[in-house]
Amino acid sequence: MTTLAWKDTLKKVKEIIDKAPIGYCLDYEIPAEKSMKEALITVTGKTFVAKAKISKITPYKNEKNILKKKKDKLKTLVMIEKIEEIQDDIVNYEEVNGESIDKILSFAILTRKEEAKIELREPMEGKLSGEVKSVLRQVEKEGNSLPIKIAEQLANAKKQYNIGEKDFDKLLKVTVEKYKETEVDPFEAVGIVGAQSIGEPGTQMTMRTFHFAGVAEMDVTLGLPRLIEIVDARKTPSTPSMTIYLSEKAKGDEDRAVGLARSIEATTLLDIADIEVNTTEGFVLIMLDKQKMQERGLKREEILPKLKKIRMQKTTITEEENEIKLSLDEPSFKKIYQLYESLKTFQVKGLDGIRRAIVKFDQKAKEWVLYTQGSNLAGVLELKDVDFARTKTNDIIEISQVLGVEAAREAIIEESTSTLHNAGLNTDIRHLMLVADMMTFSGTVEAIGRHGISGKKASVLARAAFEITSKHLLNAGLIGEVDRLNGVAENIIVGQPITLGTGAVKLAYRREE
Amino acid sequence: MHEMVPEHWLIPVKEEEKILKLLGVAKGQLPKIRKSDPVIKTLEKVEGEIVPGRIIQIVRKSRTRGIAKIYRTVIGE
Repeated sequence: MTTLAWKDTLKKVKEIIDKAPIGYCLDYEIPAEKSMKEALITVTGKTFVAKAKISKITPYKNEKNILKKKKDKLKTLVMIEKIEEIQDDIVNYEEVNGESIDKILSFAILTRKEEAKIELREPMEGKLSGEVKSVLRQVEKEGNSLPIKIAEQLANAKKQYNIGEKDFDKLLKVTVEKYKETEVDPFEAVGIVGAQSIGEPGTQMTMRTFHFAGVAEMDVTLGLPRLIEIVDARKTPSTPSMTIYLSEKAKGDEDRAVGLARSIEATTLLDIADIEVNTTEGFVLIMLDKQKMQERGLKREEILPKLKKIRMQKTTITEEENEIKLSLDEPSFKKIYQLYESLKTFQVKGLDGIRRAIVKFDQKAKEWVLYTQGSNLAGVLELKDVDFARTKTNDIIEISQVLGVEAAREAIIEESTSTLHNAGLNTDIRHLMLVADMMTFSGTVEAIGRHGISGKKASVLARAAFEITSKHLLNAGLIGEVDRLNGVAENIIVGQPITLGTGAVKLAYRREE
Repeated sequence: MHEMVPEHWLIPVKEEEKILKLLGVAKGQLPKIRKSDPVIKTLEKVEGEIVPGRIIQIVRKSRTRGIAKIYRTVIGE
């Protein structure tokens, strides 16, 4: 269903609500052939504050008992039957032709976006085979537990080597025993061990960044700088990039892949045209470059309607062959430069943030894959032809915003292992998992360091021992902070046994009566 | 669903105590997940509103364990 939406002042909205049902005059020409039963009113341009039921849209004529948006230049009369206050966001709507809209400047005709269907996934545990389940049950009977991966291996071995029940019982017992031996002991300093395990191979990494790895022509930070970037949880990585996989249907089709790559590359007006300002006569001339336009897959006809969409001072647009002239109705030196500035960065096509997209054929998987410079996960995932389950970005903060903390944790592990692996280093994944777990503990991705985990420790002395000592001590003194001496660093400072390993166990002598 | 997002399950209030006892921790000591987390927002469409303090079970595909279950407490914001 189509909905009419317009921008208005809060005062007018209140007036309509007070006086409805009533006729309301708008200063826009609204195509009459559209049958609209609903209207949304926005004050900010981004959120809707009122929803009205409309009975009729007619060309403007002055009648009694009507409200006017403006004093003159009125064009349309809308009969409002009922109106109510609502709270809705523009993100839930799109234009009739399917294009997305992010702000209403005057009026628009919208349709409500279809809500994404939520499909429940089959739980992973339910997919386990009967044999694995029976192994797990058997282990549980004795009050023990085994990881599912080991249970799977046992079940496979049982089948493969035809192990009898009795022998299998024995095998199970030994496995559980061995597994318990490998478990981390209570009060083991996993953090220190992890830090050393990442730090040692880290010293072998070169300080120099190697660019151009993986995909030719694509610039991706690797090595130590990338590792630092990951644990620092930077807002944007120095070289954000995406790997876009295509859906089942499109992944074998080169044309579709190239088309998609072209359509997501952000193209500004300056990329395809020269812009000239004439201050004396008060106009801006856009000279379109045919060759550049062809490279970007743009047609002249596509540009003009888009130009009309941006907010401009009152201008008249005249079009000639490969030239578009925008002239101000009231020439003003300041305004003409404002117009020029907004035109320079005006995005004709593509997604925000994606500077370039390259198409490559993956020989192994036999499919076309897109690699991009710049990242816009939310935008790309909504596109047609994109496999939204596999498409990735290397921007961890963006992942946490679009897919949640758990996905961000997964991304930290994935990115750090692949960085280390690319440098030819092998660090046990458990250490990196610990890092990722700590970084996402609070529900958001936090850096390891002064502004993140280390700076938020409970103990004053531990914080003071890390960085900016005097500030922490001074603040603690001012507010009277108490240190319970539970951690390691603070106990070293006061000269007590640390709370790790045997130092964590307190012994008391119980006299026998 | 994106392959990087693991399963999130809302734990019934009745079962919370049992889980906390098994883990030997208090609710506040569990890792957190924001109420505004995209996955929680989606889960709310299925389960209704999720108030801070509820426990979410996360079933991950683990590289070391096969399948791993962890828990997060929902916090505001």
